[in-house]
Amino acid sequence: MGSQVVASGGSGPRAQRRPGRRGPSRDAGRDRFGYLLLAPQTLGLLLIGAVAIGGMIELSFMKVNVLAGTRTFVGLDNYARILSDPDMGVILFNTFFFVGLLSVAGTIVSLGLAILLNQKLPGINVFRAAIFIPALITTVAWTLVWRFILQPQGLMDSLTATVDAGPFPWLRGGWLTLIVFAVIQLTKNVGINVMIFLAALQGVREDLIDAGRVDGAGRWTTFRHIVLPQISPAILMVFMLMVAGSFKVFELVLLLTNGGPGVQTTVLAFEIFRQAFRLNDLGYAAALSVLLFSLVLAASAIIWLSRRRLVFHETN
Amino acid sequence: MRRTDRRVLRALRTIPSYMLLALVSVAFIGPIVWMVSGSLKSRNEVLRYPPTLIPEEFRWDNYAQVFELQPFDRQFLNSIVIMALVCALTLAVAIPAGYALARVRPRGAAAIFLLLLSGIFLPPESVIIPLFRFAAQLGWIDTYIPLVVFTATLFTAPVAMFVMRQAFVILPQEFEEAATLDGASRWRTMFRIFLPLVKPSIASAVVFTAWYSWNQFLEPLVYLRSRQMLTVPVALTLFEDPLAGPRWNIQMAATTLSVLPVLIVFLFAQRQIVSGLTAGGLKS
Repeated sequence: MGSQVVASGGSGPRAQRRPGRRGPSRDAGRDRFGYLLLAPQTLGLLLIGAVAIGGMIELSFMKVNVLAGTRTFVGLDNYARILSDPDMGVILFNTFFFVGLLSVAGTIVSLGLAILLNQKLPGINVFRAAIFIPALITTVAWTLVWRFILQPQGLMDSLTATVDAGPFPWLRGGWLTLIVFAVIQLTKNVGINVMIFLAALQGVREDLIDAGRVDGAGRWTTFRHIVLPQISPAILMVFMLMVAGSFKVFELVLLLTNGGPGVQTTVLAFEIFRQAFRLNDLGYAAALSVLLFSLVLAASAIIWLSRRRLVFHETN
Repeated sequence: MRRTDRRVLRALRTIPSYMLLALVSVAFIGPIVWMVSGSLKSRNEVLRYPPTLIPEEFRWDNYAQVFELQPFDRQFLNSIVIMALVCALTLAVAIPAGYALARVRPRGAAAIFLLLLSGIFLPPESVIIPLFRFAAQLGWIDTYIPLVVFTATLFTAPVAMFVMRQAFVILPQEFEEAATLDGASRWRTMFRIFLPLVKPSIASAVVFTAWYSWNQFLEPLVYLRSRQMLTVPVALTLFEDPLAGPRWNIQMAATTLSVLPVLIVFLFAQRQIVSGLTAGGLKS
């Protein structure tokens, strides 16, 4: 899966250029058939996408009064407010903290677990299923269970007490809470990444590993120079997934701390929700949405454009 | 003798692996066990410190109380109906689109492919405000419609289209040529010849779409209002007593109820679910 995604993205299918096979009269009918099949999804995406992105940009230039039902054009005021908002520093820091930590740690942890689970041991499937199970559960359910574990005088406090540590203020802000969020988010979906890596590891060519061993390569050398290049498309894909997913630790923030104390544990996605649906400041929330949208787009673009440097292609 | 020695040695060498695996599994399964344990405790025992793992008395009526506090059966049904509708709409648009991009390839197919794929990069949080206003204008608040239509077109169909295109693209050209020689129409070729060959990928697309819809929290939180219309994830957040704080035992009973059906389905369709979620990992 991983290799397919990276290898085939963007470029057209192999058999596309076949001049002479189709006559001109057949082409028209064939094109019409193709467009007919593509129409529902394309038109739906264009219509709703235009409403969504157009509406987002339009609202970001407005001051909306929800109660009076009025809206006035205020130009770039909402964007200026983002720049001058003293809370934005913390919010953006938290957002990037999760992006950085979850993408790097998420990729490394998933790869480590996949290597651990790639051994041929009796009963290994039980462990594979165990790691996958949190991915099946809704984020809300997983977060609520963790809230129960982390409540004052809960399971976690009693576990740390057995080694004479704590009690720790797990959910009362600061670094500890950010780390707790990262752990909850990481354990939730790591199973999916592990499965992507497992599939990639099982596709690694055995003959190359054997050849390496004959040449006297040690375990680390084999991994670094034979296995790693072959699974690099999967690594890139998992990394990209983690980056895109980590912009929204939204549900955890809402359920565990409400962003508090103050804005200490707020992230951009939660701030959008709070401004729009709790403080009714739709214009400002829309400007924040534009910011989030641009950040996700920029991050995806940077990773996508640098993929040729990072990913090893056998065909090159 | 020597052979058994070697076998014992090999078994001993796996012990560190097993210990590590067990430790890791506890981190993933432990919370689930704790959830079930909490769901069976009395109100006093659930707050006791130090906590107990096995409830001293199994309070099965916690589960009955879930249904007294919330119309949880109805909310469950809401989630399932929305999930089924999202799957149906997603497949209805994504299978033809994937087929067209892989096998029909009209002029401009590469550009259309990129356009359709772009939905994958759209963060749902950033477009919730304009979509909410759009839904309000159309009178769709507190209905299933925005949860089905917006989710399918913007978020699940792009992934499903991608999965289906990948499935159709690898099938050999000969099938199509044979069908044309036999005089089969384009529709017949698509439905009778190619569609049955991509069933596993359809299963993957369904699993991913169902999972995405079932997991949604922000959207139902924003679009739905009345208790009768809520979906399971939103309903799960409403078991708090405004005065006494969370009723943890009832909360955990409700959470267990929400988790159980998914785990049962997983037991029976493990392979399809894993392949579906890794295929759809594109948007997790």
